[in-house]
Amino acid sequence: MRLFKQFILRHLRNEKLRSLATILGIALGIAVVIAIRMTNDSSLRGFEKAIETVSGRTSLEITGAGTGLDELQLNQLDWLRDYGQVSPVIEGDAEVRLASGRTEAIRVLGVDVLRDTKFRDYRILEFAEKRRDPRPQEFLELLLDPQSLIITEKFASRHALKVGDRLKVTFADKADEYNIRGLLRDEGPARAMDGNFALMDIAAAQLAFNRLGRLDRVEILLNDRSRIDAAESEVSKKLPEGLRVNRPARRGSQVEKMLEAFHFNLSALSYIALLVGLFLIYNTVSISVITRREEIGTLRAIGVTRGKILNLFLSEAAALSTIGISLGLILGRFLAYGAVRLTSTTVNALYIASAAEPPPLNLEYVLIAFAVGLPLSLFAAAVPAIEAARVAPTAAMRGSDRLESRYRLRSRYLIIPLLLLALAWWFSKQGPVAGLPIFGYAAALSIVFGLAFLVPAMLFVLVKIGNRLLFRLFRIEGRLANANLAGSIPRVSISVAALSVSLSMMVAIAVMIGSFRETVVYWVGQTLKADLYMRPATRNNVATDAVFSSEVERIVQSHPSVEAADRFRNFDLVYGDSLVTLGTGEFEKQLKHGKLIFKTPADGPAAMRRTIGVDAVIVSESFAIKHQKSVGEEISLRTPKGEARFLVSAVYYDYSSDRGIIVMDRGTFIRWFGEPQSTSLTVYLRQGADADAVREDLLKQLGERYQVLIYTNSSIRQEVLRIFDSTFSITYALEVIAIFVAILGVATPLLTLILERKREISMLRLIGADRRQIRKMVVIEAGLMGAVSQSLGLIVGLLLSFVLIYVINVQSFGWTIQFHLPLGFLVQSTILILTATALSGIYPARRASQLMAAEQVTEE
Amino acid sequence: MILVVDNVIKTYVGGESPVEAVRGVSMELRQGEMVAIMGPSGCGKSTLLHLCGAMDRPTSGDLLIEGVNINKLNDDQLTRLRRERIGFVFQFFNLLPTLSVGENIALPLLLDGGSESEAARRASELAERVGLSHRLRHYPQQISGGEMQRAAIARSVIHKPALLIADDPTGNLDSDNGEKVLKLLGELNREIGITILLATHSAETAAAAGRVIHMRDGKVERVVVRGALQPSEESATHAIV
Ligand SMILES: Nc1ncnc2c1ncn2[C@@H]1O[C@H](COP(=O)(O)OP(=O)(O)O)[C@@H](O)[C@H]1O
Ligand SMILES: [Mg+2]
Repeated sequence: MRLFKQFILRHLRNEKLRSLATILGIALGIAVVIAIRMTNDSSLRGFEKAIETVSGRTSLEITGAGTGLDELQLNQLDWLRDYGQVSPVIEGDAEVRLASGRTEAIRVLGVDVLRDTKFRDYRILEFAEKRRDPRPQEFLELLLDPQSLIITEKFASRHALKVGDRLKVTFADKADEYNIRGLLRDEGPARAMDGNFALMDIAAAQLAFNRLGRLDRVEILLNDRSRIDAAESEVSKKLPEGLRVNRPARRGSQVEKMLEAFHFNLSALSYIALLVGLFLIYNTVSISVITRREEIGTLRAIGVTRGKILNLFLSEAAALSTIGISLGLILGRFLAYGAVRLTSTTVNALYIASAAEPPPLNLEYVLIAFAVGLPLSLFAAAVPAIEAARVAPTAAMRGSDRLESRYRLRSRYLIIPLLLLALAWWFSKQGPVAGLPIFGYAAALSIVFGLAFLVPAMLFVLVKIGNRLLFRLFRIEGRLANANLAGSIPRVSISVAALSVSLSMMVAIAVMIGSFRETVVYWVGQTLKADLYMRPATRNNVATDAVFSSEVERIVQSHPSVEAADRFRNFDLVYGDSLVTLGTGEFEKQLKHGKLIFKTPADGPAAMRRTIGVDAVIVSESFAIKHQKSVGEEISLRTPKGEARFLVSAVYYDYSSDRGIIVMDRGTFIRWFGEPQSTSLTVYLRQGADADAVREDLLKQLGERYQVLIYTNSSIRQEVLRIFDSTFSITYALEVIAIFVAILGVATPLLTLILERKREISMLRLIGADRRQIRKMVVIEAGLMGAVSQSLGLIVGLLLSFVLIYVINVQSFGWTIQFHLPLGFLVQSTILILTATALSGIYPARRASQLMAAEQVTEE
Repeated sequence: MILVVDNVIKTYVGGESPVEAVRGVSMELRQGEMVAIMGPSGCGKSTLLHLCGAMDRPTSGDLLIEGVNINKLNDDQLTRLRRERIGFVFQFFNLLPTLSVGENIALPLLLDGGSESEAARRASELAERVGLSHRLRHYPQQISGGEMQRAAIARSVIHKPALLIADDPTGNLDSDNGEKVLKLLGELNREIGITILLATHSAETAAAAGRVIHMRDGKVERVVVRGALQPSEESATHAIV
């Protein structure tokens, strides 16, 4: 311990900048990991918790196939009473327009209050003050009027609302005013969605959500909870065709499954940031070993054992990373706020409505951070620490000749990198594991490590070539910089590798996003042919299942400029054990006016036409890939009339969702699922009609009451790209962090190298190099490290982007992306990196130019 | 007069107590002279040489190199003066380990902005002169100590300086190699008429010089002039024997 204090702590204190950079590097890495984890948890936990709190004491629930179940089916379920109490429920999201003009999403539960009070604890404030629960009759009276609403006390106090106030709420596509009839205390379901919860009478809710006669589910409160397993299987057997019994938590696991790939990819990205932090640890410990060989030798000479030396340096890593991890946890919590905001847009746009608050920093995260960070840091430090333990006692005597051995290229150095690259090739050929691109990431990792091991050899070749070139470009300073680099290959390799890795990530992600974006732009250009796209206002990011009022459909269809309106409906459907989207549209209209791009068969439109009138569907590419179905095969779907088999007639390209979409003609749908209400309208106008004018006109006709989003063709294209860009904004944030950490990783070792080269620099000054020349030399050296890293980053980034595009994306999202090189971005980022790294050399350069002590060269 | 040192004092401050390393030294060097400064370790030889080589400024007193008072020069001007007019050979650390011998020799010309081909040509000429033609592409770690010193000498004269400063150039060599280095310095002194100021603590080395300035405790103790006698190969050898 005393040795640790004297030998390590004192040294760290003297090396403030490098210690700080390392700590920051670890902190950032851990922060990103924790932030992403919190973000993932919050989108999932928010959802699961909502299910849990809303479910109350419900033991089992009965759901229909497709769009809920018909109220009339309740009559066939009389026998359920034998098992316990029964309560029909409708649940959905609405949008509250606050006095401030802002809107907020609110979860609305429509129930038959008389039956439902057994299921859930509703504590109404007014009665709670009288220390009693409302009598059923009193409760019923509160919600008698269809415009009645009970909100939570929390929500009310947040927005200064009270009983008797009127609240503007948009359900599906209808804006209306509702009376606040009561406030729920913060208990039971009122705690869902952080108080953004409202209770309505079931009939009123059906009306509001445009779902007359429909139920979302029928909940069962068992008389004997201990018999839940038996009850579940008995009920399951007795249920009529098309209905199913489940436990409430199951809905959560479906969503979890759906978000899995998305979360997995986010986590994988976050570990990249950590990787860079680890390179810094490696860097710091290596340098402290290399620069203190003599001291280590002295320690060894006076009898300190190898094990002790090893321990000393491992404790250095442990000390640095413990501080870094602790900082990272705090930082991560802050980052999580930003990340939750960024991803919740994506998650809401693409998947589910999610919570907007990261979870608190509890023990679990602390444990994760240390469990991940500490062993990895120790692992990173192990190599240099072992090197330290190998230092012979005689090292102290050998004098202070430069220890660096010139790096010589040996062909055996190429074995490991080539092996890793071969391994990457093999990994990239493997299929997904449980739907996750595990091998894809293994391939990416192999490439990254292959690169890291290849760096010394590459540097060797590059400085060989660089000698002449740099002289021509930068005169003698260029040659000296090149020579310095050549002389410290073993040392700078680590930093260059770290920088290359993070740059290659940036390149890979940029290429992937660029390609993806290009693909989407092409797809949007090809497929979005209609003049107007309409959807209920709340459908955007509040309620994914909002349907149109029939009045709206009528207004649109009867507009004189409208040639055709393709009524489209989609909803979540359980397929296997995951959720997919089932859609139905009017194929005739789509075929006549629209245009899908088909993957298979060659004549897609003809195949699509053949599905009309028969039990056949077309599916999106992501469905086909994820569920391994191709044209000619059959899929089995659960319908209200029981299991039915549908022929897959065609596979079309779709980038709107990675859920997998099955689409059938309206006629087919009606036969199996009943008349659909539409969730969107695709409107084709007559020749010569002005889309903007028609849009204005429609909005006027719809008036204040109907809240409908109408996009013109150009605005929907923008909207698609807006969603696209916001989806990927988080990856840019990670990229910036990675670059930042890596630049630290160049500046700090450069500084150390310079301090280490004191004598050489002094000598140069003595024989006539002026300060400017020294500065130029160091800045060139920094830029050179940047240039080498960026070149490697470009090459490896391209390799990685192939893995991302052709393996990881296909396996986790199931879509084909056309490769596209974002040249502009790459050129710009290259210039940026060269400038940034050269600039990061300025401080070391200044330090170097101040060195000139004659005794450096005249004394030993 | 190549070098005029007039009552120069150099005090090092910054340590625990100030150290007066040179305490009022005066001397003059004429064009083409070879002068040795001799004295025990710690007597101030290196310090004086640093001053004479414009690496450092005296605390007081004047020091003129080719008539230019270095007290009047700023850091950049001092650097230029060193780059153009002075050559250096040090005891231990002379060559950049990252450059080849040839590149090391050519360095002063290149630092001065000279063309590469000219520098390379001169470097190989001088390498030939000091007997290192076969070592041009080697790196310093790959050659012997004697060869390193000879390479350093080649480097120190490549830009045809007026003054060559050599701080104990043989101190780190065995006698055989030391002799070779001395011989080389003497030859250069005669052949190209370069003025040489060297420091040493060995009488044998000093014997190669035309004038020996003995120092003790930062002061000149006495000066021994070899008269009209040119230091010849024999006399140096005799002195050693
Ligand atoms: N940079 C310095 N700071 C403080 N004292 C120094 C410095 N350089 C030399 N000295 C001291 O000045 C004295 C003369 O040193 P030096 O000129 O190196 O002698 P020599 O070369 O004859 O051995 C010595 O006492 C030495 O310790
Ligand atoms: Mg000395």
